[in-house]
Amino acid sequence: MIGFIVLATFIGIIIVSFAAIIQPKLSDSIILFMGVGLGSVVLFFVFGAPDVALTEAVIGAGISSLIFLMALKHLKAQK
Amino acid sequence: MSIKRSLATSTISGFALSATLILTFLNVLLQNLPTSVSRAGDALLQLNSQEGVANVVTTVVVYFRGFDTLGEIAVLFIASLGLGLMLGSNSKCDIKAESNFMLKTASTILFPIIMLYGMYVMIYGHLSPGGGFQGGVIIASAVLLLLISHKEFEVPHSLIVLLETLAGVSYVLIGLIGLFTLDIFLGNFLPHDISQMGMLLSGGIIPIIYIIVGIKVGSEMSMITQNLIKRGENV
Repeated sequence: MIGFIVLATFIGIIIVSFAAIIQPKLSDSIILFMGVGLGSVVLFFVFGAPDVALTEAVIGAGISSLIFLMALKHLKAQK
Repeated sequence: MSIKRSLATSTISGFALSATLILTFLNVLLQNLPTSVSRAGDALLQLNSQEGVANVVTTVVVYFRGFDTLGEIAVLFIASLGLGLMLGSNSKCDIKAESNFMLKTASTILFPIIMLYGMYVMIYGHLSPGGGFQGGVIIASAVLLLLISHKEFEVPHSLIVLLETLAGVSYVLIGLIGLFTLDIFLGNFLPHDISQMGMLLSGGIIPIIYIIVGIKVGSEMSMITQNLIKRGENV
């Protein structure tokens, strides 16, 4: 069961990250990048590192995506 | 021409110097190869039970590598300082767009819950997964929710300055008290009996230091998000 979860998460991360690369809009890429972080949260938790999973959920999927979105807004405002 | 030539000469000599240093280092390393694999981590984990903290990761981050955590906080402080210098401005933002009604209502309900969860993660850092860094960033995300929903809301600057200064000073003070009483910087001078392991009041100074780290990280991340968002409106 755990092996199935890990395999599905790996395949999901690969698909989501590929989709994040080929998006024409940058904001869609950032949202999909949050999905990559979410998949790695599941992986960290399954492999027995709940501390790292919490950190990744808060910082990797939360605050860093916010900073990317804000930077994108600045870029659009300067155009 | 001469500048180019001197540049090339200095580059080549720099490469030669670094190559010599690397070769010397490799030579020393190869001549003193360890005969058996030593594992510092296992020895440290054996010592974990002496501190009476249920979460091993917290003991490593706050106690065995407490000085590194102090450095990480300093790095975050410098990042916040630089962002405030570059983006912080006194001019009030004048946003014309009112935020959504649903976002406003949901944020007033969700803000206390997220804040409470952040404090729980911070205070129970020595018993359950989590700790100061995670709890602080969760609190900053609650502040972010208020910032994007209520345009008139601003983080009180004087309160943030007070909290951050007090947290930084008390971290160093606790370390110095440990240095004077136990001859170890950040020594665990409070009672940390192993029979108390798993209780809220256990582990001596370790939960106190993690709460201090949480306060500092939370205030710094709140200021970073406020600078980014408010600046974004009046570019």
